Amino acid sequence: MTRRVLIGTGVAVVGAGGLLVAAEATGRLDDVADAVGLDPRPEPDPGDTRILRRAATATAALLAGVESTAAAHPELALDPVAAIVREQLAALGGATPPASPAPPADVAAAVDALATALDAARTDRRRDALAAGSPALVRVLASMSAGHAQGVRAVRGLR
Amino acid sequence: MTPTEALQAWLALEHEAVWLYPVVGARLDALRDRATTSFEAHRDVRDDLVVRLRTRGVEPVSAALGYAVGPLTTADEARAASRSLEDRVCAAVLTLAGTAEGDVRELAVTALRTSALAAQVWGAAPTAFPGLP
Repeated sequence: MTRRVLIGTGVAVVGAGGLLVAAEATGRLDDVADAVGLDPRPEPDPGDTRILRRAATATAALLAGVESTAAAHPELALDPVAAIVREQLAALGGATPPASPAPPADVAAAVDALATALDAARTDRRRDALAAGSPALVRVLASMSAGHAQGVRAVRGLR
Repeated sequence: MTPTEALQAWLALEHEAVWLYPVVGARLDALRDRATTSFEAHRDVRDDLVVRLRTRGVEPVSAALGYAVGPLTTADEARAASRSLEDRVCAAVLTLAGTAEGDVRELAVTALRTSALAAQVWGAAPTAFPGLP
């Protein structure tokens, strides 16, 4: 009757109908939790929960930016980058993206804008990884940051 | 795993890199410049890790005489061996990032970015979570 989820401090073991946060953060987090080999802890750290939610919202916004750029510029091979950001968002439990501006009509400017957004996400997740308390969350965020760095390089290569 | 153990595991891979890249550069002209750049970067990291471990009062792990990295006859083989090495460095520094705090965590997070980009330079496709299994 327990479900392991990644919420802030790593794995929280909660019963059915447990923490609201846990309910929000189910799904593919289990895969990440299994992958990093977490130590179960009974309570999420509030600071880590804030970091996780902020990262999820930011990643949702990033995905919206990738998808809108791909829709506006279908000639750009953005499917792999979109798939990666989608996987990252899923691992964080998903989130609703805030409203985001339309991508630039000029393709080179759109590539630049997307690379800039990925690089900002890289910096932010790095900061979060340095601030997080749970080893599991530190690893997920640090790894995401490195994944964003690869994304920046891949997107810049599309120019 | 303690931070010291994680640093030792990382250093062992840096020893391997310092062995691998000169072999790649010597055997494959087309990869010489890239291999030289990689060698120099890993040599500097190796030296830094040796100092860090000694500062902790720990004897750093030694290099092996050679490493089983598979065949290095063709450029594709050399790229594959290089990607494999950088991927293993990603995993090692990510382990360290989770066990360490402060400056050492920052060192590990920075090194993860470096090794993830290095893997990409050697032909790896971008991934969502470099270093995670």
